[in-house]
Amino acid sequence: MHGVGKMVLRRLAQLIPVMIIATFVVFALVFLMPGDPAVTLAGEFATEARINEIRALYGFDQPFWVQYGHWLWNALHFDLGRSLFSNEEVSRLISMRLPHTLLLVFYALFLGAITGIPLGILAATRQGTRLDKAITSLASLGVAVPNFWLGIILVSALALDWRLFPATGAVSIFEDPLGAIYYATLPALALSTNVTAVLTRQVRSALLEVLSSQFIRTLRAKGLRPAAVLWRHGLRNVAATMLTIAGLQFNLLFSSAVIVESVFAVPGVGSLISYSALNKDFPVVQGVALVLVVLVIFVNLLVDVLNSILDPRVAAST
Amino acid sequence: MHKVIFDTSLRPTRRSILMGAAAAAGAGMMLPGGAFAQEATPQRGGTLRVSMPYNPASLDPITGRNLPDFNTLYALYDALIGFDDETLELQPMLAKSWDWADPSTLVLDLQDGVMFHDDTPFNAEAVVFNLRRGLDYARSNVKSDLAGVQEIEATGPLQVTIRLEAPNAALPAILSNRAGCMVSPASVQAAEDGNIDRAPVGAGPFRFIEWRDNDLIRLERNESYWQGPELPYLDGLELRIINELNTAARTVTSGQADVALQLAAQQIMVARRSDNIIATATTSMTYYTAFFNYARGPLADLKVRQAMNYALNRADLQQVLLMGLGEATCSVFPREFWASGPDAADYYPYDPERARALLAEAGYPDGVEIATLSWPDQAAMQRTEIIGNQLAQVGIRLNVTPVQPAQAIQVFMIDQQGDMLLSPTGGNPDPSLAFDRQFSATALRNAGKIELDGYRELLEATMSTYDFDERQQKLFELEMFVVENALHLPQYMSAGMSIQTPQVKDFTFGILAAPRFHTVWLDQA
Repeated sequence: MHGVGKMVLRRLAQLIPVMIIATFVVFALVFLMPGDPAVTLAGEFATEARINEIRALYGFDQPFWVQYGHWLWNALHFDLGRSLFSNEEVSRLISMRLPHTLLLVFYALFLGAITGIPLGILAATRQGTRLDKAITSLASLGVAVPNFWLGIILVSALALDWRLFPATGAVSIFEDPLGAIYYATLPALALSTNVTAVLTRQVRSALLEVLSSQFIRTLRAKGLRPAAVLWRHGLRNVAATMLTIAGLQFNLLFSSAVIVESVFAVPGVGSLISYSALNKDFPVVQGVALVLVVLVIFVNLLVDVLNSILDPRVAAST
Repeated sequence: MHKVIFDTSLRPTRRSILMGAAAAAGAGMMLPGGAFAQEATPQRGGTLRVSMPYNPASLDPITGRNLPDFNTLYALYDALIGFDDETLELQPMLAKSWDWADPSTLVLDLQDGVMFHDDTPFNAEAVVFNLRRGLDYARSNVKSDLAGVQEIEATGPLQVTIRLEAPNAALPAILSNRAGCMVSPASVQAAEDGNIDRAPVGAGPFRFIEWRDNDLIRLERNESYWQGPELPYLDGLELRIINELNTAARTVTSGQADVALQLAAQQIMVARRSDNIIATATTSMTYYTAFFNYARGPLADLKVRQAMNYALNRADLQQVLLMGLGEATCSVFPREFWASGPDAADYYPYDPERARALLAEAGYPDGVEIATLSWPDQAAMQRTEIIGNQLAQVGIRLNVTPVQPAQAIQVFMIDQQGDMLLSPTGGNPDPSLAFDRQFSATALRNAGKIELDGYRELLEATMSTYDFDERQQKLFELEMFVVENALHLPQYMSAGMSIQTPQVKDFTFGILAAPRFHTVWLDQA
């Protein structure tokens, strides 16, 4: 565990420069985007004089470095500011919305894992059979199907026709945990197809590689039962692959959530960041970016820690 | 049962549009009415669930900025002056009557016994506070609306006198809009920096409970509403913000909402297939046009501008783009609106031959290229493509650059790039304002910042004429001036589109798309 501890410390030390670089890049990109928030803030019938007044009032007439420096200084003091447009505190916006997105992401990951891993194992252990071909084809389809399209189909069938699930909306997991899961089922299902497909393919190929390796052949030659070979030795060796894929999918699911949240009217951070970026709402975009960067870094760290527990060579090499 | 209604009854029934002849007590005309008046007796109770696509910019009326803010504002705030949903005829509200003592002095007599949601009294002092705040608060977006106000004085406990630098017949209509929405002075004084964007306290039919940004606004019944005790009928309102229109419409079809507002023609057509949904498209003051920069380039030539107007087949445009739910027009108002004259709407018939002849006369026998800006969303690009195609038939080629709406304002109206910008606009509470905000040299939408000879005199005449018939004539003249000089390229009036369940009674979206919910009720049988 000594190696793991050092790795965790190294990663945590990287956190602050990564956050500064990430927020700087996001700030620069939003700054470079065409459009002027002062125009939006001034309203539909504003005069040019009013727009100039607003630029001065909000500091939009300040140079890029001054604006970024001001934001960074406040962020270092745990003040993420307020939305330019709704005047809501950014920290409150994120704290209200992040649980919805996290629920969707973890739920989708869970659904993806409980379907993708068994399918991958099934395909690998039945390599070359019709079942393997069917699963592989389905996995390819799963990668290709757009989340939003699937979401609309699910709503049409399961919500509007059969009335099994609500078509839109979300419930706070803190107020009504079961209700929250019920509301999140359809969007999580729409999000999970890619996870299922990717996990199926990756688990299949990793397991095939392991099962055809020298040590497995030796174990079989020693007379170990096929089930024991698979469960004790085969899957243990692909666990690291599964974890890595799950970690990557976790990060990717945040971007997929942007569209799925819109289809299902889920008030998560995905819709928040897209809406805010389009309106050049700097404080909100920066705040969400900061939180997502921290989340991604911690998830990657967690994956690495778990990997290094499964395989101590990982800690030594990272 | 499904119902698609295009309402065109936009003429005021009385001639009190401008004058405060409406001395009648407010309560009488606040009774339920509108396009969907039901014979059944209104019932008390229930929470109306509304889906709407836009998060309000602010719940402070004077710092907000977008028309969809009014989905919520009139539930929270009563304005000094009210208006008829369908005609914009001004009506008493918090001011029970108003009178022009002289052309530059407006006297408001206020309702007695009105309380704000925080149980502080509404009176002349509160009105003075609110109007002064509109003028002085750094974040106020109504400064230009009140720009001509010289002095605001409480001339009695329930009387306010407003003195203007110059006559402004549009002032009562302005007081029916953002600037006239009354906020509790105590709530402003108690707020940090006077910022009440998220803590609205008005005297309207519903009190504020919570606003989860871009998600949900919850309001509850104001038990001490001055038009009570019966009104409002509803126990509360839940306004869900759902940016995607199809998703918003689905909340009604799936039974998760009672009404969905600000939809597009596509959702109306889909809703028509459902037996238990009422789909409504009502006349709107919003219209689609192309703003011209007529200070330079090819559009400085009247003949080119007129050629463009003759080259458009407006009937086809609105049929294709709005699925027939709108109204083809050359004007800035619906044709039945009281300020729209008899000759403006159809002034430019589709006449490609005439368009070609005018282009040739202007020195462009081989056609002309127009640098055009357009919004980048799918519907806007489709509109641009069809308009471009129609204009190309007579040799007018659009060189299109897609730009985001906020960027379009910067690029076209401030940086003065491009010859024209395709955009929807409108929704003004007073017809003079509709012209002033688009064609005056000070208007952001007038990219060239010039006024043609004769425009200023006509505009000022509409602002300084107080007799209804005379003012109507002046507005007709101004409208014709704009049309004859082809100062823009109007295409069609939009429609206020909403869907609802049959349980929702007496809901009208209104010509300004600024619904009031105080007389809406739910049939809970």
